[in-house]
Amino acid sequence: MNLSTNISQELLETVERYINQNMTSDELKTFEHKLESDSEFKVQVEDIKTLLFGIESQSLKEKLNSFHEDIHKDKTHNIRYLQFRKIAAAAVIILSIGSFWFFNQNSNDKLYANYFYPDPGLPTTMSSTNNYKFYEAMVNYKQGDYQTAISKWELLQHSKPNNDTLNYFIGVAHLADKNEQSAISFLEEVTKNSNFPLANDAYYYLGLAYLKTGNIDIARRNLLNSNSDKSKALLSELND
Amino acid sequence: MRKVDYTSNKTNYRSDIVSAIKANDNGVLKSLYKANYYKVEGLVLKNNGTKDHAKDIYQDAFLAVWKNVQLDKFTPQNESSLHGYIYTIAKNKWMDYLRSKDYKKTIVSDEINDRNASLEDSETNSDDIIKEQRLTSVMQAFKDLGEPCKSLLRQFYFDKKSMKEIANELQLDAASTRNKKYRCMQKLREIALKIDK
Repeated sequence: MNLSTNISQELLETVERYINQNMTSDELKTFEHKLESDSEFKVQVEDIKTLLFGIESQSLKEKLNSFHEDIHKDKTHNIRYLQFRKIAAAAVIILSIGSFWFFNQNSNDKLYANYFYPDPGLPTTMSSTNNYKFYEAMVNYKQGDYQTAISKWELLQHSKPNNDTLNYFIGVAHLADKNEQSAISFLEEVTKNSNFPLANDAYYYLGLAYLKTGNIDIARRNLLNSNSDKSKALLSELND
Repeated sequence: MRKVDYTSNKTNYRSDIVSAIKANDNGVLKSLYKANYYKVEGLVLKNNGTKDHAKDIYQDAFLAVWKNVQLDKFTPQNESSLHGYIYTIAKNKWMDYLRSKDYKKTIVSDEINDRNASLEDSETNSDDIIKEQRLTSVMQAFKDLGEPCKSLLRQFYFDKKSMKEIANELQLDAASTRNKKYRCMQKLREIALKIDK
């Protein structure tokens, strides 16, 4: 707040009327004119708005914990929603099968070459967390030393077999290392979790891996599950 | 005879939910909060997080969504778009956290910017950052404000109670309540100014 002048009670209440749209049309006209012509006035009004919004925001923030209290009491309805999502996803897949039949092996290799580039990876930081080993491997990955990265991540994976982040990067590293079959098995694992933050990328790379192995239908199916632009672009070229 | 308006369903939902959120309707906010929590918890738990992480991220996201609706930065077209929006904001926040761990401030990475460019459209320009800082100062100041003032301002500005109602509860007349409210605002402003420096 950069204002040195005081806010009068009158101004406060005028601004409240303005925000709550309780002004007469004449008062509103005068008020808006002053807002445009008087920059100090404008700053004062902005400050009052910030004060009021801050009160509201903090009030809500302090309320959220009370909302949270009965959250783990009723958990069942959520499952039904997830079931619905699965059925919807299955419907999309079924619709997409059989829609397209023709493809050309050579042009698919070309497409793969045009579309494949390794995932940029996660930013690596000098951290002392227990994720150090994970990021150490990430450095290898970024340097293009995929096999070292994979072997380090696979060590971590023994203790965390279901970690989607690990599976994802092991998968994309295999793909970058031209080992499509291994990539597919890891990425398939990852795409079982539709909540994974990189799910779009996972489907994309899975699609690419299948494209490389010549399974165009399965490639399409996976690309359809990804919302990313590159996925859509690749799909449209596949359909041409 | 009254005409049936077939389009009204959609628009009604929109204005109803938006006005309920803007009015801080307790029931609406609470059910919105509860309806979207489990999905976010599932996401966080599946991706290296704990229930505490999930709660923090979710509350952060929920507050951000509420703000954007209040400020007309986001106007939901229907219920599922509102739910989707809450989930997306929470997911983005968790991705930010995952990608940066606790070292957010030390990272300058094109990759992050590239991937998140489409997500954070409202918080990128410097004007917005200054506004956001001021808002944070006021929020902190309100947190630190003594309870009598806090309660008075909360009832008036958050619960949207009328001056008359509040005056009745405080057993004061309307004029004294107004004065009290004004003095509380001054106090809040002073604390916020100190924090802002």
